[in-house]
Amino acid sequence: MNIIVLIKQVPDTTEVKLDPRTGNLIREGIDSVMNPDDRHALEAGLRLKESGGGKVTVLSMGPPQAIDVISEALGMGADRGVLLTDRAFAGADTWATSHTLGKAVEKIGDYDLILCGRQAIDGDTAQIGPQVAEYLGIPQVTYVFGMEEVKGRSMTVRRRIEAGYERLRVSLPALFTVTAEANSPRDPVIGSLLAACGAKAPIQVWDAADLGMTTAQVGLEGSLTHVIRTFPPKSQRAGEILEGSPAQAVEDLVGRLKERNLI
Amino acid sequence: MIRSDAEALVRKTMARFVDSELAPRAKEIDEAGEFPGEIFRRIGRMGVYGIRYPRDRGGSGGNTTLYCIICEELARGLMSVAAITAMQCLMGTNFLFHFGSPEMIEEYFLPAMRGEKVASFCLTEPEAGSDLGNVNTRAVPDGDGYRIDGMKTWVTNGPVADFFTVLCQTDPAKRLKGVNFFFIPRDTAGVSVSKPFDLLGTRTTKISELAFTDVRIPRRYMLGGEGQGMRNLMSILAEIRCMTAALAVGLQQAALNDSIRYAHERAQFGSTIGRYQMIQGKIADMATDLDASRLLTYRATRMIDEKISCIKEASMAKYFATEAACRAGDKVTRILGAYGYSMEYSAQRYYRDNRFLLYGGGTHEILRQNIARWAGL
Ligand SMILES: Cc1cc2nc3c(=O)[nH]c(=O)nc-3n(C[C@H](O)[C@H](O)[C@H](O)COP(=O)(O)OP(=O)(O)OC[C@H]3O[C@@H](n4cnc5c(N)ncnc54)[C@H](O)[C@@H]3O)c2cc1C
Ligand SMILES: Cc1cc2nc3c(=O)[nH]c(=O)nc-3n(C[C@H](O)[C@H](O)[C@H](O)COP(=O)(O)OP(=O)(O)OC[C@H]3O[C@@H](n4cnc5c(N)ncnc54)[C@H](O)[C@@H]3O)c2cc1C
Repeated sequence: MNIIVLIKQVPDTTEVKLDPRTGNLIREGIDSVMNPDDRHALEAGLRLKESGGGKVTVLSMGPPQAIDVISEALGMGADRGVLLTDRAFAGADTWATSHTLGKAVEKIGDYDLILCGRQAIDGDTAQIGPQVAEYLGIPQVTYVFGMEEVKGRSMTVRRRIEAGYERLRVSLPALFTVTAEANSPRDPVIGSLLAACGAKAPIQVWDAADLGMTTAQVGLEGSLTHVIRTFPPKSQRAGEILEGSPAQAVEDLVGRLKERNLI
Repeated sequence: MIRSDAEALVRKTMARFVDSELAPRAKEIDEAGEFPGEIFRRIGRMGVYGIRYPRDRGGSGGNTTLYCIICEELARGLMSVAAITAMQCLMGTNFLFHFGSPEMIEEYFLPAMRGEKVASFCLTEPEAGSDLGNVNTRAVPDGDGYRIDGMKTWVTNGPVADFFTVLCQTDPAKRLKGVNFFFIPRDTAGVSVSKPFDLLGTRTTKISELAFTDVRIPRRYMLGGEGQGMRNLMSILAEIRCMTAALAVGLQQAALNDSIRYAHERAQFGSTIGRYQMIQGKIADMATDLDASRLLTYRATRMIDEKISCIKEASMAKYFATEAACRAGDKVTRILGAYGYSMEYSAQRYYRDNRFLLYGGGTHEILRQNIARWAGL
């Protein structure tokens, strides 16, 4: 089974801070890492390869330094990496991002499965996976945490829902977005990491022209949405500390919760 | 062509491992005081032990700089795990790699690279510490091989090792010119291992004495040519000193990070203690020591990688960085006030573990004598 895993490089923090004056992300001093969910997607892909054969290709769109997540993926056992980088890609919204990624998937070709993380910790929209599937016209399953058997051209997976899970049979090729619950990702292997840094590493770098896209189709120009302003919401909620002995405070708390029909 | 920077990538990978797996468990591992087998094997699966060896011969295809980056990062998490790793990558396996037969490589070296076998290195004897000319463990030709008799002490990994690289005397009259390395598997008849020593720091590193009584080994277990032991030891001495310096850099970084964090948090007299100049002075000294240590260390590792002889530079790096690590251990325990004296915090561990750096690879008394000589005295 040939698998393409979409990985994104994100700032290493779940608490991305915004500059209160400009509203932009503060990126200085913050390392970039592989998006946490994508690590689980990659692990799932590597396990499928180990049990059923095939190749794992990782695909990422980002600035040149996003090469590091490709190298790391090769260090974990991916067979090939493709980095999409071009000044013109900058400022892409999720539409432009998924359009570009979709084109790259088509150019890579010959795939049975596309795996994405559930969500990126910076953009946080969880839109890319579903949009790439729509672009390619293939079935999608989100919130996948378990992959069962592959039977011919279909696969059975488990998908997390609020009160439990769903088991679904999906025809291939398909796209899944994978949650952290799926597995615990392996460590990279140093020898493979070093090989990924070498000139002969199986890594390709493509720009818009390589994908046959014009600058009008990608990045800020190719985006359907434009950010007018980004700002941290003002926290309006004031806390209240219940005074008195613990017993009194508990009674008070229970009373208030009942009053609001919360318990 | 766009490619990742190998040094930055390896550092980042190790830092991730240290921050998510090692540092959070450092206290627990240190207090358990047992050889951390599970972590040892996991580091093996990451291919760390082969960092200095070429990829086509079972290594990971790195170099001394990358090796020291790994040592530094691990030492930031827990010194004893870093020390065991350092041993496995270098002293414990180097002569086996260079001089072992294909069968020995298959049976011992490759499993050691995967973390399935533990290596160790035995120079020191009760009467031979700094003065290796006193080595008294005898290797005597015996039929098709050698008979080994004698005693080693301060053997890192002694209690858990699967094989030993042992410096023995083949010709006592020649003293240092008569010593050679021998390979001795632990399960060879006549090898006995003492109980682990009780140590001040690096408490999960298991150290013991070894006794060899009428131990018979085949001829191919002599690692390197006759009379070449000292020359072979010298071939890795600069690297041992760089490694020790890198361990010291890692410890300083950990002590500095904890100091800064605490100085930001702790408030006394209405202000965080980081606002007081006396505390700032300590932080400034630690940061400067750290930077200088790092520069000295990686200057020397790069010389090794470029095959430029650098025993002077490596000795200065070891001397400076490890003394600086002792200063850092001192300062962090002051900045944390009474909490620096509490076993709950890591500061006390830096204070104990820094002593580990002072002896192996040459004591500072010996290093300073040499440095003075190289300076022209
Ligand atoms: C309205 C809007 C405007 C935006 N404007 C800008 C802008 O001006 N400048 C700017 O820099 N960003 C901008 N962004 C952010 C950018 O569009 C998103 O970060 C990007 O599209 C990915 O979306 P996400 O981070 O929400 O990923 P999600 O949809 O949460 O990610 C899900 C999964 O998709 C895959 N994936 C996501 N991104 C990539 C990628 N780049 N390469 C490979 N796989 C990937 C991963 O598997 C990931 O786990 C904007 C976003 C929105 C919603
Ligand atoms: C944690 C730890 C792990 C170790 N692991 C190993 C190991 O795996 N394998 C191994 O072989 N050894 C190991 N050692 C031993 C280490 O290599 C020795 O401690 C070191 O060689 C110094 O020898 P010594 O301790 O006998 O000190 P000595 O040589 O007895 O020195 C005692 C003091 O005298 C000083 N001194 C000695 N000679 C001179 C001189 N000429 N001029 C001035 N001062 C001098 C020394 O600097 C020191 O201060 C380990 C030691 C420690 C603490």
